[in-house]
Amino acid sequence: MNRRQRLAASAAALALTLTCGPAAAETLKIALNADIRSLDPGVNRDANSDAVVLHMVEGLVAYSEDASVKPLLAKEVAVSDDDLTYTFTLRDGVKFHNGNVLTAADVVWNWSRYMDEATKWRCRNDFAEGGAAHVISVTAPDDQTVVFKLEKPNALFQATLARTDCGMTGILDKSSFNADGSFNVPVGTGPFRYKEWRKGEFIDLEAFADYAVRSEEKRDGYTGAKRPLVEAVRFAVIPDRSSAKAALLNGDIDIVPDVPYADVEEFKQNADTAVSLATNPGIVALLLQTRDPLLKDMRIRKAIAMALDTKTMVEGITLGLGKANNSLIPPTSQYHSAAQAQGYSYDPEAAKALLQEAGYNGQPIKLIANTRYSNTYDAAIVAQAMLQQVGITAELEVLEWAAQLDRYQSSNYTAMVFPYSGRYDPALTMDSVMGNKDKEPRKVWDDPDAQAMLADAVRYSDPAKRQELFDKLHARFLETVPFIMLYNGLEASAYQKHVQNYAASIFSMPRAWEVTIAE
Amino acid sequence: MLRFILSRIGMAVPTVLLVAVVVFFLIRLVPGDPAALLLGDMASPESVAALRSDLGLDKNILTQFAIWLTNVFQGDLGTSITTKEPVAHLVIERFKVSAGIVLVAVALASLAAVPAGFIAALRQNSKLDLTLVSIAALLLSIPTFWLGLVILLIFGLKLGWLPVVGYVSVAEDPSRGLLYVLMPILTLFLHEIGVLLRMARASALEVLRLDYITHARAKGLPERTVLWRHVFPNAFAPTLTLIGLVLGNMLGGIAVVETVFTIPGLGRLLVDAIFGRDYPVIQGCLLFIAVIYVLVNLIVDLCYPLFDPRVKIT
Repeated sequence: MNRRQRLAASAAALALTLTCGPAAAETLKIALNADIRSLDPGVNRDANSDAVVLHMVEGLVAYSEDASVKPLLAKEVAVSDDDLTYTFTLRDGVKFHNGNVLTAADVVWNWSRYMDEATKWRCRNDFAEGGAAHVISVTAPDDQTVVFKLEKPNALFQATLARTDCGMTGILDKSSFNADGSFNVPVGTGPFRYKEWRKGEFIDLEAFADYAVRSEEKRDGYTGAKRPLVEAVRFAVIPDRSSAKAALLNGDIDIVPDVPYADVEEFKQNADTAVSLATNPGIVALLLQTRDPLLKDMRIRKAIAMALDTKTMVEGITLGLGKANNSLIPPTSQYHSAAQAQGYSYDPEAAKALLQEAGYNGQPIKLIANTRYSNTYDAAIVAQAMLQQVGITAELEVLEWAAQLDRYQSSNYTAMVFPYSGRYDPALTMDSVMGNKDKEPRKVWDDPDAQAMLADAVRYSDPAKRQELFDKLHARFLETVPFIMLYNGLEASAYQKHVQNYAASIFSMPRAWEVTIAE
Repeated sequence: MLRFILSRIGMAVPTVLLVAVVVFFLIRLVPGDPAALLLGDMASPESVAALRSDLGLDKNILTQFAIWLTNVFQGDLGTSITTKEPVAHLVIERFKVSAGIVLVAVALASLAAVPAGFIAALRQNSKLDLTLVSIAALLLSIPTFWLGLVILLIFGLKLGWLPVVGYVSVAEDPSRGLLYVLMPILTLFLHEIGVLLRMARASALEVLRLDYITHARAKGLPERTVLWRHVFPNAFAPTLTLIGLVLGNMLGGIAVVETVFTIPGLGRLLVDAIFGRDYPVIQGCLLFIAVIYVLVNLIVDLCYPLFDPRVKIT
């Protein structure tokens, strides 16, 4: 090849890469707004890590679309009458990515690894001694059966196993680990298997041909049908939102799981892209310091609740895409009853009267917000204006997220708009905000009576009984205003129209199974 | 020469040490706890405390500093809190990516801006001068993130010539790798041209006014000789200093450009580390950047005598 030919060849190669793009058509390319932390399920993780890892590993049970818990690796789960023994029957012929067949012994082995302190599993404390769901023994009477015994009844045992931040308590093959026992790469039973992780750039997965498909016809949250229908998946790390948008419009990326609300209309109008919306159980709340000299007066907190027109506020900040919800239970939950739909009554005049009665005369209230989660910042701005209307002076203090989290953890604030990540069972959501402030300063609802009701909601698994408790708790929440619940997280995912059957979900994490790419 | 280099390196040691001290304590003064950030909003105080003790953050701050400094002297910058990777490896890998882009952009910008600046000076107040100065002022005033997005919009979206996101190492696949770095290089090139052109023009103007130039012309030297022998070498020296500063500055990371073009470089590593309060990575990055700064300026100083014979290195 002489020089001219070489030049022509490289020019041709250049043109080829320009027209075809970097990867084959059968690779589904999903944007991630930050790199993942690790591939170890439930260990050193964040939401992006969970999203990627849960394509490769699966647990015994998983959350379905309505946040109830259903079997995944298990065929069925039997619970004893005393609610202390859970018997999981495994599905036949489930294979790990290296071809090994899943057995009950694998589950027992994984459980002992998770419960080993050295593993640093995020959820160990929940199942260890003193934890809410203390597991006293796990045994494998035969190859297909695993028996978990609890110390005391706990309605949330399966819901905790299935938690995405626990890595779904995913079952790994022993080849996932190095000779010294340290974690290497996940060899699980999921629809996709690990191929490559280039830090700061991308994570590549490939379809697992021998994936043991469940009998359900439809995708159902993290269980149900989970066939890998594309050859490969690439999670590309794109930290800048404008760049992610440009990449989607350009065709370099197939799916951007989280686009700004302001872009939704544009993606809907565009002939090549579509949008999928889903409300998640994450809550965005206006936290009030009930130990503040001013805000410890319930009348002032009530006045704040009455001053906020949360319906208008949420419509404004989500550009009409989201709805206000004053209940800790999201509208997608089976427990969101008519009682839960009750909210604060917007009444500026009553708020003014109440403030006067409480002797409030314009003392400033510092309201903390951050710009990392821009919608929560918008909520703070709107709240400030609405409070102004009734004569409450709210001073905005904008902090960087890490600094705000610090103030939240140490309870060092008067008021702040705070986004909580999602928990799928209402009792888990409530547990994250309720508790004794002396013991756990970050807790925002410190009420012994409510705490007792929550304990019952954790104790009983009967849905009717739980519904009654949740409704009572909600009434108390509205009456005592420990803080103000504004709305649930709302995720807008944009994708290329040639991507078929993609949908955003309550999990706010992209799912590549059951998704195809049209020619 | 060797003595000069050694003494300069010796002089840099206190600077780098000072950076180490300031960085270590300053980042710990910033509110925010890496353990709490890692575990998220629902972490219990016990798990945060356990992680803090795991990371050694519960130790006395002076003890932490002593441990870190001892390790640094042994060539160990520690491991990242978020990714558990060795910091030295992270920093070097990311630096290679940024350095390639920055070196090419600054070299091109210098090659274009210095002659253009000199020409503008020679034709002071002409239309050409005005045009060049205006372009320089415009380029200088455009923030890089905006310039980057506009370039991305034009070449990536409207024309569709270049891939919008992603990165392929040039070492791995030269032709494809080049595609991914063209836009970042162009962005930096355009931005730096503005800075360097103005500097080159200003220095040339200053030299042109000096007595020895008048003298050289008076004694009948051809204008060419005046320019090449007297004006350019003398006018280039200040620009060289500026190139050194620009280079030192940009080698320390071009976070904004890296973020816009999804380049896994040193700047993004540092910014991510700051948001995640990843102390070892922040310390490692900044220490490394300080060393790079010192080295680049040393190299520039060593180049000085080539252009300005008045400067002697002894």
